[in-house]
Amino acid sequence: MAKIKLDLFRFDEAVDTVPHRDLVEVEVPETTTVLDALEWAKAEVDGSISFRRSCRSAICGSCSMNINGITGLACKTNCKDVIKADGSISVDPMPNFQPMKDMVVHMDPFWDKYSRLKPYLQPKDADTDHATERRVSPEDMKKLVAVANCVMCATCYALCPVVSVDPAFAGPAAIAYAYRFIEDVRDGQRGERIAQISEDYLWLCAHCYACSYCPKHVDPNDRIIDVKRAAISDKVMMGERGPRHALTVSKTIKQTGMLAETEVVLGTVGRFNVIAQIKVLPLALRLMSRGKLTPFEMATGGTAPMLGLPSIKPIPKVDEVRTIFESLEVPV
Amino acid sequence: MIKHDVVVIGGGLAGMRAAVEAAEAGADVAIVSKMHPVRSHSGAAQGGINAALGNREEDTPEAHAFDTIKGSDYLGDQDAVEAMCEDAPHQLIWLEHRGCIFSRMPDGRIAQRPFGGAGTPRTCYSADVTGLVILHTLWEQLERFGVKVYEEYFCTALAIDNGIGTGVVAYNMRNGELEQIAAKATIFATGGAGRMYLKTTNGYASTADGMGIAYKAGIPLMDMEFMQFHPTTLKENGVLMTEGARGEGAYLLNAQGERFMFKYAPNKGELASRDVVSRAEWTEILEGRGVDGCVLLDMRHLGREKILERLPQIRELALDATGKDAVNEPIPILPGAHYTMGGIETDKWGATRVPGVYAAGECACVSVHGANRLGGNSLLETIVFGSRSAKHAIDYIKKIGDVVPSDKTLRAEQERVRTLLGRSGGTRAPKLRHAMNETMSANTFIFRDEQGLSKAVQDLDRVRKEFDSNVYVMDKSKTFNTDLVSAFETDFLIDVAQALAKGALERKESRGAQARTDFPERDDANWMKHTLAWRQADGSPRLDYSRGVTITKFQPEVRSY
Repeated sequence: MAKIKLDLFRFDEAVDTVPHRDLVEVEVPETTTVLDALEWAKAEVDGSISFRRSCRSAICGSCSMNINGITGLACKTNCKDVIKADGSISVDPMPNFQPMKDMVVHMDPFWDKYSRLKPYLQPKDADTDHATERRVSPEDMKKLVAVANCVMCATCYALCPVVSVDPAFAGPAAIAYAYRFIEDVRDGQRGERIAQISEDYLWLCAHCYACSYCPKHVDPNDRIIDVKRAAISDKVMMGERGPRHALTVSKTIKQTGMLAETEVVLGTVGRFNVIAQIKVLPLALRLMSRGKLTPFEMATGGTAPMLGLPSIKPIPKVDEVRTIFESLEVPV
Repeated sequence: MIKHDVVVIGGGLAGMRAAVEAAEAGADVAIVSKMHPVRSHSGAAQGGINAALGNREEDTPEAHAFDTIKGSDYLGDQDAVEAMCEDAPHQLIWLEHRGCIFSRMPDGRIAQRPFGGAGTPRTCYSADVTGLVILHTLWEQLERFGVKVYEEYFCTALAIDNGIGTGVVAYNMRNGELEQIAAKATIFATGGAGRMYLKTTNGYASTADGMGIAYKAGIPLMDMEFMQFHPTTLKENGVLMTEGARGEGAYLLNAQGERFMFKYAPNKGELASRDVVSRAEWTEILEGRGVDGCVLLDMRHLGREKILERLPQIRELALDATGKDAVNEPIPILPGAHYTMGGIETDKWGATRVPGVYAAGECACVSVHGANRLGGNSLLETIVFGSRSAKHAIDYIKKIGDVVPSDKTLRAEQERVRTLLGRSGGTRAPKLRHAMNETMSANTFIFRDEQGLSKAVQDLDRVRKEFDSNVYVMDKSKTFNTDLVSAFETDFLIDVAQALAKGALERKESRGAQARTDFPERDDANWMKHTLAWRQADGSPRLDYSRGVTITKFQPEVRSY
């Protein structure tokens, strides 16, 4: 048996204006999970400690919370792996959500992101023949398996820095769920779904890989890349800034071996979109004030792409970079 | 007052299937659930769902029915079993057409694997997350039809006025208010009661809510003594290791490395029915051939690739709990409480004795599982009887006019909550629950006898009395008060445990999951009948054996595997 101090976030939205913390000592087997430790604390010490939980085997997705500052499933986190040197474990609600009580948060914004997907199969055919199953190859079905393992625990959503600055962003879980339908050969709404998720700020994802910390190995980060690739290969909403940004970044690196920032800005907002270009002028001025851009570069960077020329000189071994691009079959 | 034509209590597979059936028919339907539907424990079902699709070998619904009835040790009602098995292929295809992600055969049809007690490979699956993929498919259909879900509403009582069901009362966990929910038809789909036991595969939420609510409202529970102990659960935390592992070819080994199952089931070995395998394991352990109180589930010969493709979840669950990787070493397992064959008594349409009140899925006893359920039949039952109960309910609501519940149920529930929250001291629900768990696990486990069962009945009487007079809820908050909800759940569990212990004590025979060491034989002359338990004022059950077993064409035979 081990003695563990749980350092708990405490808050009740009905009565508290600010949260406080409680230190609760629990006595549990050393191999116990954080969820078991919380259960023990609730049963033996303070019945008002509140958290969601159900299956305790990482399949219901209820018990995502912050453990020592990192979001994860309490039922899948072993105390001995996270206990601090002073014998304590801090437990807080997931970030990016409004707390309701202790570790229980308001989940509605998260579910709304799914509802916007129209998250149900919309078959190609009229779907009247129920005599037999649709044939789907094992390979086509396997593409969906990783996402099928998603338990909607919202760990990725809580970890996502883009959600924290722009709550309109669909977030990793919903984009992965969109992928589940986009790649389903039985579905007839692939283009509409890609367009919908693009409108829900698919391209805001900064690929920071925070969401690669997924307790179920769904790897939403990779699914987001897959959806972006699908958008590009299907040429859906290519006029939007997101895909233009991605393509220009690829193009300048392929052409020059370097990131041509001014060209990327122009490629993203539109080469002939003077109004948008004026709007990004403050950015250019800020870059100049910090020494990241000289007025000369700005002038050449701005004019050369308009003439269809690279704004900077290719690096000496640019051929090697191009070989990498070709071997990866990047669609530029 | 909230009002709908059909209200479904519970958002797992049976509840959502019922709601989708009603929504497709254009009915005004809502789900009341103590958690978001995708959190339901149906999602923890791993191995698969049975249907005589015949994709791998020739198969028929009749063969499926025979296996199910034999598995039930002839206590299942054969008309209900036949209805389920005949509807199974249609329901599977219905799920597939709605996008369910089933594993596939090379030709693109749904893959099937062998399961315990089945004559052919009949179990459709999605790796070892079958429950989860079906749960998601049905939740997607709720989204499609815009079914209203009263999420985190804990149903506390059934309203019956003038002999018919008029809806429920539910506790809104977000603001602490009790609300009357009027309905012409109420369908309970609240799952099982595994939390009666110390070690169970069931999650924290499987607390017999619907069973307890119906039982308190005067509807009988049926065949509660038949509790399934799953043969392969982890010693550390009771978590399930799917039967699909043995379906894919895993062995059960004792301390001597012997595949002992062939001593007990010469033909089927590891794929005998669950009651047989659990008894065999427990016998090995009791006779000293166990390993630290366990036997071993050996998957090593399946190879890394097959384990990762078909059994990835259980490999990770075992790794998390035991530190052992099933790819390289056998996993210690033992039998654990898993499935409640008994439940709210219904007919083969899921209708109870009270008009307008239905039950489907694990909380119901139709009975299709009789004394022992076959693996892969529980998911099927949820889908078939979720659908059937809703069909019957839709016909029923067309025939009756508006229902107006009196406020007597709401007032009684308000009084109950006031009493629970009003006490400033006493015995907390977790303590009482633990006392119940201890006696249930000690005295109503795999092997039972008169002495142990009598002790369980007495212990539970004491727990019941202490609960009624002295249970103490520490949390007084109106926000997400899970301390209060836990007290309700404990109340329901004690009720159901009392019915189980008394039913087991009175059934003086061994059949399926009920193994009496003092009555080791099945006694068809005296016990081809169901146990009905009616709740009395003091909480103890009154038993009644007026319901016989329906036999269509399968006469009871000696059961061997």
